[in-house]
Amino acid sequence: MKRQAMSLQVSTENHMGGEPAKELMMDNKAINDIEVASPSVVKQAARNFASTLAETPEFKSFEQAAERFRQDQAAQQAMEAYKEKQMSWRALMMLNALSPEQRTELESLKNTFLDQPVVQEYFKAQTDLAALCQTLGDALSESLGLNYAAACGVSCCG
Amino acid sequence: MSTTLSPQLQEATQSFIDHLLASEAFMHYQEARTTIHEDSEANTLMERLSDTQATVRQQQATGVVGQAEVDSLRLIQQRALRNPVILDYAQAQQEAIEFLREINGEISPLLGIDFASFANHATC
Repeated sequence: MKRQAMSLQVSTENHMGGEPAKELMMDNKAINDIEVASPSVVKQAARNFASTLAETPEFKSFEQAAERFRQDQAAQQAMEAYKEKQMSWRALMMLNALSPEQRTELESLKNTFLDQPVVQEYFKAQTDLAALCQTLGDALSESLGLNYAAACGVSCCG
Repeated sequence: MSTTLSPQLQEATQSFIDHLLASEAFMHYQEARTTIHEDSEANTLMERLSDTQATVRQQQATGVVGQAEVDSLRLIQQRALRNPVILDYAQAQQEAIEFLREINGEISPLLGIDFASFANHATC
């Protein structure tokens, strides 16, 4: 955008061979003023993008699935039981020192959690939304010349 | 694009991209990218830096890092840090990254998710 304005100025000088006409200089200034997007204008475009994304079926499904998951007592209890055991055995897990019985117990708690219908529904909705966001992130990255997720500090492990 | 986008989402995304590209941070970044790509000295230095870093990383993975490679890496790093084109590119890239983080910080609270995390392709 700025480059367009700059090239316009250069071509004016080249073709007219001297000082650009006052009117054209004013036009160039106006182009510069208009075409450099201020942070607040970019943020407004970002908010419009976010509100449009929030209206997609993928996002709405995810929100609904997340709400059903939050409201489901059995799923919440299964998640807490699994998380608590993970926390209490964290050191052993890091040392890869769980006994076979402990491994079986942890696996059983994990499966109980993952077998909950609302949890499966939640993960499915999350995967669908992630696919959409990845498509959008790819479009952003390609156009900007920067990996959007990596630039925002997200590593390959999330 | 792997997922089909609605016309509304395509339009909002394109507008978002256009506004980002028209921001001061990204205009500077695009200009710095063009300059560095056109500067043969900077290009050569960047390629040598990348190659030497890769060699040292490979050696680190095997547990044996050669002193010659470490010295070579330091030398190229010092030369890169003295190159004005590379310095401007690095600064412009950092500004663009900081601006992008600020923008992601604008989007994410509205959605209730970290958009960048969802946009990330988990590969490990």
